[in-house]
Amino acid sequence: MKLNFGMALPAVFAVSLAYAMPASAQQASPAPDSAHLDVDQLFATTCGWCHSDGGREAGKGPQLMNTARDDDFMRNRIKNGKPGAMPGFGSTFSDAQIEEIIKYIRELKPHQG
Amino acid sequence: MKKRLGYFSLPVAVVLGATLAASTGFAQVIDTARIDAGGQNDWLTYHGSYKSWHYSPLSQINTGNVSNLAVAWIHIPGRSTRGLQSMPLVADGVLYYTGSYSRVFALNGATGEVIWSHFPELDEALISRQTHSPYNRGAALGEGKVYVGTMDGRLIALDMKTGKVAWDTKLIDSQKLTVGFTGAPLYAKGMVIIGAQGGEWPGRGPIFAVEAATGKKKWEFLTVAGTEEAMKTWGSDSWRTGGGGGWMPGTFDTETNTILWGTANPAPLYDWSGPDYKTQGARPGDNLYTTSVIGLDIDTGKLKYYHQELPHDAWDFDSAVGEFVMLDRDGQKLVVHPNKSGYIFVYDRNLKVKNVWRITHNSNFVKDIDPKTGELIGRRDFPAGKVTEPLCPHISGGVSFNSGSYNPKTGLYYKLGQEWCMTLEVLKTTPVIAPQAQLNIGANFKIAPPPGGEIYGHLDARDPVTGALKWEVRYPEPPLGSVLSTGGNLVFVPDSRGILHAYDAESGAELWSHSDGTGHQGGIITYSVNGKQYVAVTAGFGGMASDDYAPTFGGVYKHMPRDDGALIVYTLK
Ligand code: HEC
Repeated sequence: MKLNFGMALPAVFAVSLAYAMPASAQQASPAPDSAHLDVDQLFATTCGWCHSDGGREAGKGPQLMNTARDDDFMRNRIKNGKPGAMPGFGSTFSDAQIEEIIKYIRELKPHQG
Repeated sequence: MKKRLGYFSLPVAVVLGATLAASTGFAQVIDTARIDAGGQNDWLTYHGSYKSWHYSPLSQINTGNVSNLAVAWIHIPGRSTRGLQSMPLVADGVLYYTGSYSRVFALNGATGEVIWSHFPELDEALISRQTHSPYNRGAALGEGKVYVGTMDGRLIALDMKTGKVAWDTKLIDSQKLTVGFTGAPLYAKGMVIIGAQGGEWPGRGPIFAVEAATGKKKWEFLTVAGTEEAMKTWGSDSWRTGGGGGWMPGTFDTETNTILWGTANPAPLYDWSGPDYKTQGARPGDNLYTTSVIGLDIDTGKLKYYHQELPHDAWDFDSAVGEFVMLDRDGQKLVVHPNKSGYIFVYDRNLKVKNVWRITHNSNFVKDIDPKTGELIGRRDFPAGKVTEPLCPHISGGVSFNSGSYNPKTGLYYKLGQEWCMTLEVLKTTPVIAPQAQLNIGANFKIAPPPGGEIYGHLDARDPVTGALKWEVRYPEPPLGSVLSTGGNLVFVPDSRGILHAYDAESGAELWSHSDGTGHQGGIITYSVNGKQYVAVTAGFGGMASDDYAPTFGGVYKHMPRDDGALIVYTLK
């Protein structure tokens, strides 16, 4: 069984995971494909530890702003990760959400001022 | 045994038998009393003994002859993704250690010959989703078994003689929570204690006690809101965003029957609350029992006492370091515990603050910590937005998770401190109450040098109670491994470049060094077999702190693999 822990989880399920699991709420609903993703926040919660300054600079992971990688490469990396380097997010995000992430990376600009 | 049998044609049983006979001649049961006594030939528990000194009285290798130290044997565990970070153990001439993916090896301590190995089958799909993985930081010994935790939430017991699985207990639903066990367990009083990862994930950071004989879970303590009192310190139901955990082994106070353990940070790491953190932000309140030291009754798991080192930790300077250095000083029984921030707390055995001193030179997350009460003075709580003055130390800490060493002969505590800072921008994020995208940080940030200087690390020789400095050795990049001191008046430091250094414990003069071929970030011990002293150190670089080294320092780190490791064992030529 593949569990999808999407960001748009119904509240009851989300709460159940924090160790207070009512028996009736043990099924995860997959993230709806249309679920909007706040990618700016996603970098601040998750990706930014390795892709410094919100993806604008190299850190543990490479700089993502102005990346020379094509969309297929990024899609594959975000989905599957790389052992010992980057976790895979294929079970976390829907395909549509991953497209949003790629679009966000393509639009990254240096901070103003 | 006939001589003409070649080495390679020996039946396995004969090799095994011979190895065991040679090494376990005096084998006796490993129990609480034996670990407490810390027999000098062995290294029976992660911190050396329950005193957590990381010290051995062995003195065959000493200041006079350390220049003759040379490699006796090495062992390659394979598949060392994110390096090799574990603390070897030795009992009756057999060395036990763990590698990435919780591989366990039992080796002849004199020759390195493999007696047995165990490669547990793990949930690899889960591991590919984890960030703080798949390294393992060590095992525990007791009652004829070797205990190791796994990244998929299990605690496994192996027969010490054969490596056969005695029991295998699933403790947490890692598939749901994404986290598991990387830290070594602690054996004491018929129980195996292990703490889960936590910090950055929505969970309640459990610490478990399991019956050594049967593998049956005895109790579980939740470091996030584990009591009614603690629940009140997480406003707006923010206990659901969780954190905590206790991912390094603490110790056992035999006199009070208490487990002492350090806990990790709350999530998100950085809160946008600003100064009104008691009522505002992501997790209003003190967030007990995160970033705390706790004392649990070993029989029941009930909380006996605690001290929260950083109430409402807003900097990820947790208390997860497992060192609880037990001292008797002027009739007082004290325990010394380093906080990740670089502040070192001195407590009585009931975790009441006796003194606080600081090992770092660059530190500005608070102005100070009151040495009498432990109260934070002039704390910096950031509102959302860019933080103008860089935060010191860096998120990797003023000290690493690895241990220092206390030497009763010199009365000095040898501990590594780190000088580095970070720029950051704190973001207001929606609460993360379900495991989804791994981490929950709450800021964009980047490593930075200290104001007006360079990044560096230093080994300090200090009085463990007052913090008075006797000498210091500096390193261009912070060393991340553990420190060992010995009755031979030596201090060993495995550094990040891959050099193992030996210093005079009194003066800090460097007496010997040797390259281990790759960076260190794990354990170091010494032991004796058949009258011969050995020093064993793990080498192998990679992980959340060390992955910053190539982009930050370049040089040798650019060429250093982060999926490799070796156990290297030295003795006198
Ligand atoms: C634990 C650290 C870590 C985290 C967390 C992380 N990454 Fe990565 N990422 C890396 C590393 C390291 C690489 C380079 C891997 C390699 O060697 O090819 C990488 C590569 C990438 C690439 C390919 C770019 C290139 O030039 O190779 C993309 C795109 C990417 N990451 C996006 C993300 C996103 C989006 C997130 C958050 C959802 C994220 N990463 C979280 C470490 C991380």
